Parts: sequence; C-alpha cells; structure tokens
Amino acid sequence: MILLVPPTPDPWFDIVKLPTLIAAIIAIIVVLYTTYHKASRDKYRPRPIAGLRAVDDAIGRATEMARPVLFTPGWGGDIQRPTTIASMNILGQVAEKTAQYDCRLLYPTHDPVIQSVAQEVIRESYVRTGYPDRFREDDIRFVSTSQFGYAAAVEGMISRQHPAAVLLLGTFEAESLIIAETGNSVGAIQIAGTDSTIQLAFFIVACDYTLIGEELFAASGYLSGDRAILASVRAQDMLKVIIVLVLIASIICAWIIPTATWWKF
Amino acid sequence: MSRRVAQIVCAIFGIAMFLLFFSPHPTARAITLSITTEYWQLIYASALIVGTISFLRVNLKNIQRGNDTIYRVVSIIGLLAMPVCAIIWGINVGSPFMWTFENIQVPMQSTVFALLAFFVASASFRGFRARSLPAAVLLLSAVLILMSRSWAEGEIANALISTADWVRSYPSMAARRAILIGIGLGSLTTSLRVIIGIERTWLGGGR
Amino acid sequence: MKLEPRHYTFLGLLVVVFGSMLLGIRPEVSISEETRRMHAYIDSLPEGSTLIYSFDHESSSLPEIRPAALALLRHSFSKGHRIVGLALLAEGTGIGYRLMDMVAHEQNKQYGSDWVYLGFKPQYIAAILSMGESLQKTFPQDYLGHPYDSLALLSGIINYSQVNAVVSIGDGNMAVHWIEYGQSRFGVTITSAMTAAMVTTYDPYISSGQLHALIGGLRGAAEYETLSGQSGGGLRGMLAQASAHVYVLLLILAGNVIYFIARRRGA
Repeated sequence: MILLVPPTPDPWFDIVKLPTLIAAIIAIIVVLYTTYHKASRDKYRPRPIAGLRAVDDAIGRATEMARPVLFTPGWGGDIQRPTTIASMNILGQVAEKTAQYDCRLLYPTHDPVIQSVAQEVIRESYVRTGYPDRFREDDIRFVSTSQFGYAAAVEGMISRQHPAAVLLLGTFEAESLIIAETGNSVGAIQIAGTDSTIQLAFFIVACDYTLIGEELFAASGYLSGDRAILASVRAQDMLKVIIVLVLIASIICAWIIPTATWWKF
Repeated sequence: MSRRVAQIVCAIFGIAMFLLFFSPHPTARAITLSITTEYWQLIYASALIVGTISFLRVNLKNIQRGNDTIYRVVSIIGLLAMPVCAIIWGINVGSPFMWTFENIQVPMQSTVFALLAFFVASASFRGFRARSLPAAVLLLSAVLILMSRSWAEGEIANALISTADWVRSYPSMAARRAILIGIGLGSLTTSLRVIIGIERTWLGGGR
Repeated sequence: MKLEPRHYTFLGLLVVVFGSMLLGIRPEVSISEETRRMHAYIDSLPEGSTLIYSFDHESSSLPEIRPAALALLRHSFSKGHRIVGLALLAEGTGIGYRLMDMVAHEQNKQYGSDWVYLGFKPQYIAAILSMGESLQKTFPQDYLGHPYDSLALLSGIINYSQVNAVVSIGDGNMAVHWIEYGQSRFGVTITSAMTAAMVTTYDPYISSGQLHALIGGLRGAAEYETLSGQSGGGLRGMLAQASAHVYVLLLILAGNVIYFIARRRGA
C-alpha cells in the first residue's frame, strides 16, 4: 500500500530565531517607552561628551581663520548602514552651524547615493537657517568608489584647501590614518567617530577628539537637544542593564547546571 | 508632502525587512533578495550616473577656472579611458583594460596603501605619549603587540607571542565586545528613530 | 620645501625598509597557534577535496596579501585539492586569476580538472546567499567564458554541500559576510588569509568557532611558508617588516623621552 503523504509546507516563521525575536521585541518596547513616556523623558540628562562639545568650537575656529570645514563619512559604509544614517544626522546639525557662520563646508564621499542624500541634507539645513544662497552644491562631491582613490582625493583636498576643522564621522577602514594624519599635518582640529573598532585606535592617536562607537549614535540628539531623540538614547543604557543581567544569570546557570544550554542561542 | 511620503516608504520597508528576517519561507526569501539586490542595484546604478555627472561637472568647471587643472585633467582621462577600453577591447586577460588595471591602477593603489606605514611612523612618534595611566596602558599594549609580530624566534619571541595572544584574547576582546554591544544598541535605536519618524535629519528635513 | 620633523621620520622609515630589503636575510620565525591551525586544516583534508578561494580584496593590499595567498595555493595544490576561484570585489578578479594561474603552472595543474576560475560576482551578500542555493545559477559560465557544465571539476558541485571549505583572501570585513551568510546559514567551513591589521577583528569569531582558521599578514605568510617548506614573499619581507616595527618602537621611545624632558623643563 502506498501512503500519499502531503508535502510539508514551508514554515513562515523560523523557530530557531525565536530568541532573537523576543530580544528584538523587548528592545523595541524599551525604546518606545523611553521615547514616548513624558515623565521619564524629561528626567533624562545626557553626560557631556567632549568630542561633541568641541564641534561648535571647531566650526567657530574655521570661521575665524576663513578656512573651510571638511566632513567625510569614510569609505566603509553605504547609506543602509546605521552609522551612515547617524553621520547624516550630525551632518545636518553641522551644516546649520556652517550656514549661520557663513563657513564653507566640504563633503567628499565614495558613494554616489550618500552624495545625493548629503546634498539634500546640507541644502535643507541652509534653507532652514535662512541662508539658501550660501549653499555650494559643488562642495558635496563624489570622488571615487575605490578605497584608496577616495583616500587620495580626500588627502589632496585637505592638503590644498587647508580646512581648519576635519570631522571624520562614519565607517572607516584602512584610509582612516591616512586622512587623520594629513588633517593633523595642516593643523586642523580633528573630531572622529566610528563603529570600526580597529580604526578607533588610529583615531585616538591621531585626532583631538574621538567618539567611541555608540557616542556617534547619540550625537544628533546631543547636538540638537531634541528631547525625544535624547530619551531614545536612554534606551541604550536600559538595554545594557538588561544584557548585563542576562549575562550574570547565564554565568550562574552555567556554573550551577553545567549541562544547561538555554543561554547558548 | 514628499517628505511625508518618503517617511512612510521608509517605515514600511523598515518593518518589512525586520519581519522578513524571521521567515525561511521561499516567498519571504525571494522578496528579501529582490529588495536587497534588484532594487538596491537600480538605486545604486541611478545614483552612480548622477555621481559621475556631478564629478565631471565639478572637474570641468574647475578646469575652466584654472583650479588644479593638471589634477582635474588626469581625473577625467582616468574616468573616461577605462570604460572606453572596456567597451572597445573587453576586459579579458591581456586586454588594454586589464593591462591598465594591473600596471597603473594596482601600483597606484598599493602606493597609497603603503603611505599608511609612513603615517603609522609619524603618528606613533607624535601620539603614543604616556600622558596618563590609560595612555600608558595603550602605549604598553601597542609595544607588546608590535614586538610579538617582529621578534624572529627563540624563547623571548615565544614568551612575547603568548603574552600578546593573552592580551588579545582577554582584555582586548572584552573591551571590543563591550564596544560592539554598544554599537549594536546604538544601531538599533538609530534605526528605530528613523523608522518611527522622530529622526528626520537624513531626509534633509528639520527635526 | 621646508622639511618638518615628520618628513625625517618618513625618510628614516624609507632607509630602514630599503636597507633591510637589500640585505636579503630571511630570518627564522616562530609559528603562531593560528597559523599552525590553518596549516593543519589544509593538511588534514583528503586528496581531491574541493576548496573555494574567494579573492575579496582590492589591489591596494596586494603586497601584503599576495605572499599568504600564494603560500596557501601552493600548499593546497600540492595536497591534490581541487580549487574553485572567484572574487567578490571587482579588483580581486584579475589578481585572483593571475595568482591561481601562476601556481597552477608551477605545479602542472590542469585548468578545468584541477582548478577553475569563476570570476567576479557583484553584490557580495547576494552572491554568497545565491551560491548556497546553486553555484551554477550564480556563475553560469567561468571567467574565461566556458559554460559551467563543460568544466569537469564542477560536475557534481551544486552548492556549498559539495565544498569542503571557503578560503577568503581578504583585506576588510568580507570574511564577516562569509561567516554571517555562508557559515551561519549553510554551514560551510570558513577560513581566511587577511591583512595583519584586520586579525584582531576576527578574534571573537575564532573563539566562537565561526571562523575555523586564519593567517594574518606578512608574518602569517612567513609562518605558513615555514610550515609547508616553501620560500616565498612572506619570509623575504619579514626582515623589512621586523625592522620597520623596531623603527616604530624607537620612534615611540624617542617621542616619550622628548615629552618627559619637555615636561620636566616646563615644571
């Protein structure tokens, strides 16, 4: 007798990813709570971040010296990367200030999509501050998709234009030190921030201020003072507490019951 | 109005990509691949055209003004020569395109990469100063790792390598993981801020 | 042009590197655990195993990457492994083909039966995922224009299930994508040869077992050459690299001495 077994339909949910889904939902709830709960929002005060406090001074110095500010997001990221989005958010704030001070803003990038978005961000910032005539489209440039083509172009731009402030905020790879050292050689104030842990060491040595990892993501709230954005940064602290508690529970569990595997997802 | 539309599209795609991550169903996988490859390719190709036109326009304008003319001319020749070679003779082994790539582009790229060694030298002379306890720790670990990678062989070399491996495996790894967790959480909150619309700077919009 | 202090440090490095290269001494090197592990893995695979060599780097890192890639290729071919080459970054395409062709000629290996080169596929994440479903759909023809079906080595290779391991020759984060998509989703073993600067990035993946083995930079290449009895660019470059490291150490020392003298004078 032949039994006709119907084919098992493909599942719509991967049960192996259930722990990831639970963790993601908890994270989303925490972020939404800190963002929309007014009482918790108003209580929150961020700690001072030296690198971000220096942004204003750097732009002010560039204005006094009649030299440009150079902002570049690095070669390692594309527009989908959260670091690039965070960098764009900071760019918006920086562009408002350069518009107000009438200071030239140079923005070289390796990615044409980033260039298009950056042009829009900077143009809007200039319009918003009431100085649309100060916007220079040609200063937001796509230079090359090649890593060291980009590095050489930025290096050349720094050497020839002598910016007084260099902001290196985004995802950087091996080009980080080449750009940072060139910036240093022209005496620019340098503020760097990246999610590339390898490049942090180079930035710490070569730049005046370095935003480490998550500080970059908090920057737009810090610079704008927007309560909702700042409150969402608080979610990161709360999530860290949760992660530490889970880690401690896992360690205790593995110690008491060596065969337990629930924490190994 | 157009900004509101972009915001809605962003939210829909953000939520869709989040949900699709959890689904192994062939339809879900096909949608994911379609979004991440076809749509992205289209957007990137369009932007590349815009970027190239912008590159040409900026350089031509600067040539007219006499700013850095020689650099601009070389840039434009480079930009136009490679596709022309590829269209006429193809990109196979031995073609002018491949010859140019191997004999001009590779050495140029390697030269810029090699500059890193010189900058490491100048940065280490200027930047690795024991100004404080954390700076001294950074300095010592850098020295240890450098020595472990350069000492040839013998007892001292083995001791240096095992010490450097310990530094990499424990204190360095712990710090790196902490930073990575922070970056992960930062990415998460940034993404959520963008999806729910409280972060609109990336749209060129106000807050 | 007026010379600044940093120009002297540049000149010093130039003299040190050139001088040590002219000496032509090949120092003995101690073998690190990670290189030993990589060598043992390639050694342990049975003859006729299939390896994917993915050239995931740009031309800029070629001087550092090339010795490691050649050492691995020479060892793999000498063990009788069959090699499928490809590139996930455009600039690696021509370079990968040249390196494989060179080593295949050295060891009298036949194209099509001992090795093939599939060429470049854009959108690396999509390519890695796509190869997990079907190698043939991802690369309908090889780099030289031969149809997939016509190559003897590829008959029977449908996806990663028929491949023993991937060797990612990289200079950035590409091995992470191989781990996240190739290893996590399809279970293929991932190994890598990479620039020295990237090695510490992969420590967490090595300790978790997601990256099976790696060799790092010129030093890794020199160690691998020593283990497999080769004499290549890794050992040739070791003295220059070691001298440059010592030079940097001396600069750090000089910088600190100057700093403390200046501070004492200022106090």
